[in-house]
Amino acid sequence: MDKLLRNKKAIFVFVAPALILFTAVLFIPIGTSFYYALCDYDKVTRSYSFIGFGNFINLAKDKDMFIALKNSLFFLVFSCVSQLIMGLLLAALLTNIKVGRNLFKNVIYLPCVLSSAALGLLWAFLFHAKVGINNLLANFGIQGPAWLYSTSGFITLPMWVIAFVSLWQYVGQSMMLYMAQISGINKTLYEASYIDGATKMQAFRYITLPLVKPMIGTAMSLNAIGSLKFFDLIYSMLGDKTENLKMDVLATFLYRTGFSSKGGNHYGKASAIGVILVALCLLATAIINKLFKTENYEM
Amino acid sequence: MDHKKNKKPVKISTVLIYVFFLFMMVVYLAPLVWIGMTSLKTRAEIYKSPFGWPEAFQWENYAVAWKAGKLGIAMLNSLFVCVITLLLTMIIGSMAAFAIARMRWKLSGAAMIYILVGMMIPVHCVLIPLFVRFAKLGLTNNLWGLILPYLTFSLPTCVFIMAGFFRSIPNDLLESACMDGCTIYQVFFRICFPLARTGLFVTGLMTFVGNWNELLLALVFMSDDMKKTLPVALTKFVTPYQTNYDKMFPAIMIAIIPTIIVYSLFSNQIVDGLTAGAVKS
Repeated sequence: MDKLLRNKKAIFVFVAPALILFTAVLFIPIGTSFYYALCDYDKVTRSYSFIGFGNFINLAKDKDMFIALKNSLFFLVFSCVSQLIMGLLLAALLTNIKVGRNLFKNVIYLPCVLSSAALGLLWAFLFHAKVGINNLLANFGIQGPAWLYSTSGFITLPMWVIAFVSLWQYVGQSMMLYMAQISGINKTLYEASYIDGATKMQAFRYITLPLVKPMIGTAMSLNAIGSLKFFDLIYSMLGDKTENLKMDVLATFLYRTGFSSKGGNHYGKASAIGVILVALCLLATAIINKLFKTENYEM
Repeated sequence: MDHKKNKKPVKISTVLIYVFFLFMMVVYLAPLVWIGMTSLKTRAEIYKSPFGWPEAFQWENYAVAWKAGKLGIAMLNSLFVCVITLLLTMIIGSMAAFAIARMRWKLSGAAMIYILVGMMIPVHCVLIPLFVRFAKLGLTNNLWGLILPYLTFSLPTCVFIMAGFFRSIPNDLLESACMDGCTIYQVFFRICFPLARTGLFVTGLMTFVGNWNELLLALVFMSDDMKKTLPVALTKFVTPYQTNYDKMFPAIMIAIIPTIIVYSLFSNQIVDGLTAGAVKS
């Protein structure tokens, strides 16, 4: 049997397709991307000329880049905090009930598997300036704000709206992760604490929270990367209007710089944005892992 | 006596929890029900009473949207891309997982790390080089040009989950297969592959759902109407100042109904699988 499992030819046959795909479609393009980031792309001659850190220096001065970065960081912080609170709350409450737990869990998770492009259209209509929610408010004589078109404030109103929509859509993911962790906690711990006179709140504070902490790191890294990659929802809610409305995030800015008809094909600059995006992903993950690094308790 | 005293406050809190979750159900289901209702209204009606019950069901909205949004061809494209990606991911992914999890070679650990790194890299980073390369190779506006990156980005989760399943297959089973003179390929395809059905099912569903909804790559790679996938076809309806809502809502319904049906059939497996995949990354 050992001989069989050491069959070099078979190993090669099994692993080669996956590794070749990975190298060709992922790792070589990543290398290219880093190279493009240091180049200026000429649309006419379709050639790349090496300009060192020129793209990054231009981006540092670019006002649109500042807006995109600001909005992306806002999404990052908002989603990390809100998903932590809501996800943990939902998970803790759900593990306390028996009847209907599966139904509630599955319904809350449902938007996670639905297309953001479709749900974005729905929410864009609901937050339309005249129809939608504002129509409902008008019945009570309230003049609703222009949810998706207001451009005032450091973090504009549309950003908050979209941040809440994404919380609605993706909180199920965090909830599931926390539920998995909570249901792994040994029941005798709780029983012992109740015998000692602990209330449910105390049990949550002193048993559940510390034992869930490792999962907070995992869930939060996922949220962080997800919110930095954020594209579908904002594109389907605002379309090409992100620029005029000053509502770019890094992903839409990258798309606009590289591919939109107006932005033109600035592949070098767009690659530089991509590099910054990856750097931010790695940085956020590293920080979160450092914050929530805990020794694993015996459960 | 004591027991009864303890039970009462618990009940009140339980009631509160149920009230809270019923409220959440409304928050989650009302928008979806409301899309369904609105999709059956006339345009004038949508403006006049966006939240009311439709006066008469305008079923023809669906036919109009289907035609105007070219949703038929988009649906076929999406199906083609997702099914092919699904099959290839399961075969290539589980072969790699098997070699990494069960076969004995020096670099198996390194190969696993190499593949898992792929989980952390956002697709945005490779978007431009891929587009440039694929444009040269004639893979843009070509469904295979989507299948390749989808496959690559679906592989890490698949390899990870399947490796777990292959590790749990007892050694005795493999050993007895060897005694019977199976080749390594037979061991994999006849014994291990069928045994890991549950894992295949979970990864399959995850791969399918993820690729079915993917927007950015499809948006960049597919400019030809005949090659667009469903999410891209939907973005046609995006313009903040547009007015043809009577077409938009049926289109949304058409896009999400297949996923809702699949989800309600397999929600438990999907939820468990997606969580398992996420936890490990």
